[in-house]
Amino acid sequence: MAILFKNFRLNILNLGPLILLYYISISEIDTYFSSFFEILSFNLQIAIIYYWMLKNQSVIGNGHIFLAGIINDVVMGLPLGLSSISYLTVSFVASYVRNVTVNISLFTDWFTFILAIFFSNLVLVILIYNFSAIKLQYTDIFYNAFFTFLFYPAVWGIFNFYSKMMVLKHDD
Amino acid sequence: MSTSREDFGIAVRSALLKKGARQKFSLFFLFIVSTIIFFLDFYNVKGIKLTKNLISDGLYRISNIATSPFKLFTYTKEGASDLIFTYKENKFLKDEIERLRKEEYQVEYLTNQNENLKKILESDTNILSESTLAKVLIDKNSPFLKSIIINRGSSSGIAKGMPVLDGNYLVGRIVEVNYLSSRVLLLNDLNSRIPVTFGEKSTQAILTGKGGRDPAMEYLPETYEAEPNTNVFTSGKDGVLIPGLPIGKTIVEEKSINVRLFSDPNQLSFVTVQLTEVDKENF
Repeated sequence: MAILFKNFRLNILNLGPLILLYYISISEIDTYFSSFFEILSFNLQIAIIYYWMLKNQSVIGNGHIFLAGIINDVVMGLPLGLSSISYLTVSFVASYVRNVTVNISLFTDWFTFILAIFFSNLVLVILIYNFSAIKLQYTDIFYNAFFTFLFYPAVWGIFNFYSKMMVLKHDD
Repeated sequence: MSTSREDFGIAVRSALLKKGARQKFSLFFLFIVSTIIFFLDFYNVKGIKLTKNLISDGLYRISNIATSPFKLFTYTKEGASDLIFTYKENKFLKDEIERLRKEEYQVEYLTNQNENLKKILESDTNILSESTLAKVLIDKNSPFLKSIIINRGSSSGIAKGMPVLDGNYLVGRIVEVNYLSSRVLLLNDLNSRIPVTFGEKSTQAILTGKGGRDPAMEYLPETYEAEPNTNVFTSGKDGVLIPGLPIGKTIVEEKSINVRLFSDPNQLSFVTVQLTEVDKENF
């Protein structure tokens, strides 16, 4: 019974990042804090995807990233598939960085995160500009990207602490 | 040189095609699926539209349930705050009642005058004088899009373009209709354009959302001299919105004339949808 409970607890802990990703996509929880500071907003989904795809790909699968993107599109009223493509771009950059780097540290992660943010936003802007009637304020996207980059070390620290409680499987 | 290019190619190929132990799909496959879905949605394919409507109806409700613990926390916090300021608020409300009583007679006179003027003006928009109350299901604040989801859809007679009010004040209009839910584009969204009228001379302008809190006035007459604190109403020139719906008051800033909305778009719990007859050609 004790072993069963322990396994259950570990499974829940391992599912934590995935549950968080889905929850942020589906719920009303805002990562836009205009009431505190007009331009303050960040994209937590991108940070979650990047961290876990770099750290251990078995925690968040590509299929879940795709599904979280679809959910985000429906809730936000964006064209279907847009967020999925953007999130998968982040996942792609993370997988690439993982393939070409040996040591993982906060600073290497943080600076390569710029590439992930840049390409995911680039894809988003190109698709919206060419294939959608939605108008976007490009400065808002820039601020969002900037604060996402700025807060990444905090997300990294929290997840690093959290990952110590998890029993991670080796992924190849 | 060629070795480094080969390494780059191998790393990219591996990132795109490798599935790994727990990955059921490769990134390449999911990119293709996402792109197909995106273009099916872009070209408004009938099947995907219906599927999207069904998914939306379900997800909006799940989202509402998922957020309920946080909403409960917010309501509790607001309730405690209200309780603390009850005495002060009571005194303020008594004064307000006194003031409103005095204004009541004036309103009666103006209502009669308004009715007579409406008969003279032949409005393009046919008002069915029906409205439906709707609960705000999702109010997810985004830096890019300002919209809310309400729990009324085509089953309640809602159609694209219908005006949405908070009390008597316009807050937006319907832009997406599902069977059981709808999306309301708020006035401060970057994509919102509303023809308005204001001032003694009934100046015409377009109220344009800027993504921030206050939308701005555009296409004002060249000779227009800015006046602050002027009430702004819908003009109904688009043949979609009812003329005379109050929106907000003008604020004169250095380079623009903005409108402070009467209703805060971030504080909506219940809204009313005016069931006007919307001409699809106009919308």
